[in-house]
Amino acid sequence: MSDTAAPLTQDRQKLEMAALSAPAVVFTVAMIAFPVAYTIWLGFQTFSQTGKQSFAGLANYSKLISDYEFWHGLWVTIALFVLSLVLQLIFGVWLALVLFHAKRLPGIVRSLFISPFMMPPVVAGMMWLVILDPSLGAANYILQSFGLPPSDWLASPSWVIPTVALIDSWQWTPYVALIVLGGLQSLPPSVYEAAQIDGASPFKTFQRITLPLLLPTIVTAAILRSVDLLRFFDIIYITTQGGPGNASNTLNIYGFRVGFEFFNIGYASALMLTLTAIVFGAVLAFNRLRGAVAW
Amino acid sequence: MKARMLATHVALPVLAIVAASAHARAADFDWMKFKGKTVTFLANNNPVSQALLTYKADFEKLTGMTLKVDGYQEQQMRQRLVTVMNANSDEVDVYMTLPSREGEQFAAAGWYADLTAMAKNDVAKDYESAGLSQALLKAATFGGKLTSMPMNLEGPIFYYRTDIFKKCGLDAPKTIKDVEAAAEKIKACDSSVTPFVSRGLKPAVAYTFSNMLHNIGGSYIANGKSNLCSAKGKEALDTYSRLLRDFGPPGVVNYSFQQISALYRGGRAAMAFESSNELRTVMEGGARLKDTGLLPFPAGEAGQVPTTIGWGMAVSSHSKQPDAAWYFVQWATSPEVQKKMALQGIAPPRPSVANDPEYRKWIDEEPVRKEWQAALDVLATKGSSEVGYPIVANPQSREFIGQAVQDLILKQKPIDQACADADKALDALIALN
Repeated sequence: MSDTAAPLTQDRQKLEMAALSAPAVVFTVAMIAFPVAYTIWLGFQTFSQTGKQSFAGLANYSKLISDYEFWHGLWVTIALFVLSLVLQLIFGVWLALVLFHAKRLPGIVRSLFISPFMMPPVVAGMMWLVILDPSLGAANYILQSFGLPPSDWLASPSWVIPTVALIDSWQWTPYVALIVLGGLQSLPPSVYEAAQIDGASPFKTFQRITLPLLLPTIVTAAILRSVDLLRFFDIIYITTQGGPGNASNTLNIYGFRVGFEFFNIGYASALMLTLTAIVFGAVLAFNRLRGAVAW
Repeated sequence: MKARMLATHVALPVLAIVAASAHARAADFDWMKFKGKTVTFLANNNPVSQALLTYKADFEKLTGMTLKVDGYQEQQMRQRLVTVMNANSDEVDVYMTLPSREGEQFAAAGWYADLTAMAKNDVAKDYESAGLSQALLKAATFGGKLTSMPMNLEGPIFYYRTDIFKKCGLDAPKTIKDVEAAAEKIKACDSSVTPFVSRGLKPAVAYTFSNMLHNIGGSYIANGKSNLCSAKGKEALDTYSRLLRDFGPPGVVNYSFQQISALYRGGRAAMAFESSNELRTVMEGGARLKDTGLLPFPAGEAGQVPTTIGWGMAVSSHSKQPDAAWYFVQWATSPEVQKKMALQGIAPPRPSVANDPEYRKWIDEEPVRKEWQAALDVLATKGSSEVGYPIVANPQSREFIGQAVQDLILKQKPIDQACADADKALDALIALN
């Protein structure tokens, strides 16, 4: 008797659990699925200058191929992504090592080190816009007081990408450092003790032990930053709006302007879906890499 | 003779009947008609709305309505508006609009409620629709429909430092060539200041560049085609970009009104070509109150054709309560409120307010205000509201004008290529019209 009652109770429990979690599951799926489905549908529509809508098939996607601004935006997005990610990973690991080894660093100093990423990007953008103003900003004043030539920073087509990458790295390097610091704290001390007994130098220890063991953590940080970096928007929107000319016009900025300023919601949706595919592709690639370096 | 008889025997009685019925309607007008309702106002957080919303409580007391304000910076306001209107949502009842920029586009999309009948029939006794600037009302009329009521009158004007001009032995410039000569002389005479500054940020350039183009005698469109590569178009592009490249501040390609006002107010620029609306910002702190002269932008070969625009208040075509919304629009654009706003430095779109004794007294308090009003008088009488191409895709057209100017400031293209590239892109936009 008890043999048949037990499975029945288990089934009932499963059913109850499914019923209880169903509203949350339905809500979450709807919140994700509806906007995505709607954007996919919009990507097949064309909107006239007056907002009149009609079915366009794949016209928006074929337009991408011949659109110079799309390819330029893609190049700017990738350039910013690579430059920012490299800077943030290098300095993030360095900052994590500093925080890990400087055990006596007061809490307030540690908090200061990691504070930039707690600042809203709009505030960070406004702050750097003022600092980097070629006429009134502090950056050129400091350069000139050391006898160095002033720079146009965000107003120079050739300097704008490195400058934006520096601003983003200033803000997000501490975030990478926090992740890496967590990884450092979880490394097995026995490996280091063995290295010490073998007489390994600090550099060799870092190169042969710390870095390989930290790689999965670093790749995780890279995945998290990649998603943000490929969707780069806020700091550029505040500081340059894609300029000068179109020198910092990322795909995200371009799509925003096409949709909200020029009213071409259909083409903007196609642009954003393409960007989403790129983000997914990057995440999948990094995930594979993480699998390869796992220990 | 026949015409005079017709006027005496037919037109005058008809006018009298219309006037009498309008008067009767005005007598019936009740500000409390929509008591208890809530009107949502999507505002651009600029000096115009800031001055208006100082009196928000007065509106709520007068009408018994609640005014819900949804305020954003200009670009974010448009972004919110596009989202709301594309969703056919009634979330917004009244919004601020620039007819010179998006008027054609919004009208064609059907986003404006037609205010023609309301402005004629549903008005308080002292409203005086006819007292509003006729030029601005005309600029807000699309396909015979009145789409917004003017809130202010504005345009780019020329700010210059009288003390620096005196030190360098210069007179106030009368022509564009004088501006360039003055910039040259100031560069040699006082290296601590930027000789000339105006807008270099791509989407913002058209506002000031249009004045230069029109003064020189150029036009945006000729025979249905973009006209930037005409001799006058190239002259305007060349002069505007040369002034900014050779005499402007470093990084001028990122300059819009905020940076220009900050530079001039801080005493770091000798000449600035920027909006009349910026007077209050420029004079903040009082440092520039006694050493600034103001003029309409100096003449070119076609004389002075200043750019004159104004923010308008529109009722959303999706509003479920357009009549209540109209009460707010009417209150905000009434002579009484516009006078209060004028005393805060918002140029009134009503000649009667501009001539009001109290306003005149405020103007006469400072010489710089007198010059400001004199410049605005020129804007009101001679102004053109053409900022960018007079097409549905006006906002996008401004991008290409700005791109051509930036290409020249940054020396990325020779002028023939910059204007040809712009004309090619603009012809494609014109073709969509």
